[in-house]
Amino acid sequence: MEWQTDWGLRFRMFLTMFLLFALFIVFAGVITAYVDGGLFVFALLFASFSFVQYYFSDTLTLRSMGAKTVSADEYPQLHASIERLSQQADLPKPKVAVVDSRVPNAFATGRNQRNAAVAVTTGLMQTLDREELDGVLAHELSHVKNRDMMVMTIASFLSTIAFMIVRWGAFFGGGHGRGGRNGGGGGIVVAILVSLIVWIVSYLLIRALSRYREFAADRGAAAITGRPSALASALLKISGEMDKVPKDDLREEAEMNAFFIIPIKSGVVGRLFSTHPSTERRVDQLRQLEREMEAA
Amino acid sequence: MGLLDGLRAVLGIRAETDASRDADPEDLFGMSTAYLTMGADLGYDFAGAGALCFAGVDSSDFAETVDDVEAILEAGSEETGSTFSLTEDDHGYHWVVIEDDDPEDLITSLHFAADTFIERGYGSRLLAAVFAFEKPDDPDGRAYWIYSFRRGAFYPFAPRSGRNRDSSAEFKLESVLDGELEVEPEKEYWYPLWPSASGRHPWE
Repeated sequence: MEWQTDWGLRFRMFLTMFLLFALFIVFAGVITAYVDGGLFVFALLFASFSFVQYYFSDTLTLRSMGAKTVSADEYPQLHASIERLSQQADLPKPKVAVVDSRVPNAFATGRNQRNAAVAVTTGLMQTLDREELDGVLAHELSHVKNRDMMVMTIASFLSTIAFMIVRWGAFFGGGHGRGGRNGGGGGIVVAILVSLIVWIVSYLLIRALSRYREFAADRGAAAITGRPSALASALLKISGEMDKVPKDDLREEAEMNAFFIIPIKSGVVGRLFSTHPSTERRVDQLRQLEREMEAA
Repeated sequence: MGLLDGLRAVLGIRAETDASRDADPEDLFGMSTAYLTMGADLGYDFAGAGALCFAGVDSSDFAETVDDVEAILEAGSEETGSTFSLTEDDHGYHWVVIEDDDPEDLITSLHFAADTFIERGYGSRLLAAVFAFEKPDDPDGRAYWIYSFRRGAFYPFAPRSGRNRDSSAEFKLESVLDGELEVEPEKEYWYPLWPSASGRHPWE
């Protein structure tokens, strides 16, 4: 039953991470050279950012998504499914949360495997049958197993800093400019320009990385449940339902799309900026796994 | 959590590799001395039943493997006198339930079944092997030893009515049999296997 390792996916993931890391080194170098106390600001931001992320990310995410932790008495079936799947994935049982929403969706959060939470919407439980739900839950557990929250947090850190410098660059310059080695003003302009470029490039890289993580989690889910087809049908169901429940007001949509010849949701631009690969591509990959499983 | 584990996590492949880890069915034989201790030191009788829990795979090759397991148990039952059945529970997991009053025979049969799955490359689908014990004087005093194929270790499970666990009974089982059985040290992995509403054993 051992299906083939997807080296293409791993290579692309590795390359993205390598590029992000290289970008980070260059960026840190430039900022330290052009801004006084740049290294200090870097370290301070990094420390506070990681602290908050480390200790509060799971609670913060749950709260911001309106998810409520539920006990086994309230949702026995959901708890039981997560229990079995965690056991199969060799994970301690995560916290189980439910979001009261008609939009079928699920997410995982938490800094590590011991402090993880998996949340599903009531809409998801209504839309999917048990096998499909197991597929989605296994996908979220794969995120926990693969430490995706951690990876994405570290990856996003660079773009957050770059964004802050673009935004508050003038403010930093004001404080240190006069006594600066590089005469202040000029250095700050370079720093802001570099930050802007870094911000855009890292943003695109993070989006790509995020899409690869989704593929990896799909593969993990297939390995845990042994049913790629269940996850595929869940994805199709969810995307179908998602289209029926629009997120934006109709009037806003019409106004926005007036500015774009091609709607931002599709085409190359949409693909570069999206965090998730398209459902068709994910279903294609799962179909591939299903075939490999039959051939084994 | 070694360095390699961290790297696998960063590359996003841990879920995949862990779900397909090989199990070691030889550990099941640890039960053949443990049941004696259960009786002598703790007053638990072997309940004459054990089961193997596995997750299905949607492929014809897997269906054939299950047929093979059945054939092997069928052939073995003439010798050992054990009876077996295949069931599916509310969670969609499958069970091979074996009944035999002789614990040695039951362990051998379970080992045969588990081994067949592993030989055919489906070791990663095995979830747990369960051995049932009961107290002769207390009808509610049931206890189980569960072997987790994911962790390669045993843990006790003492279900009581209303989805409660008797943790003091479990503690006693753990402390007496630790050393004789490979007992799972981290309690977070002591997953319950609740019987369905009408059931008595986890596989019912």
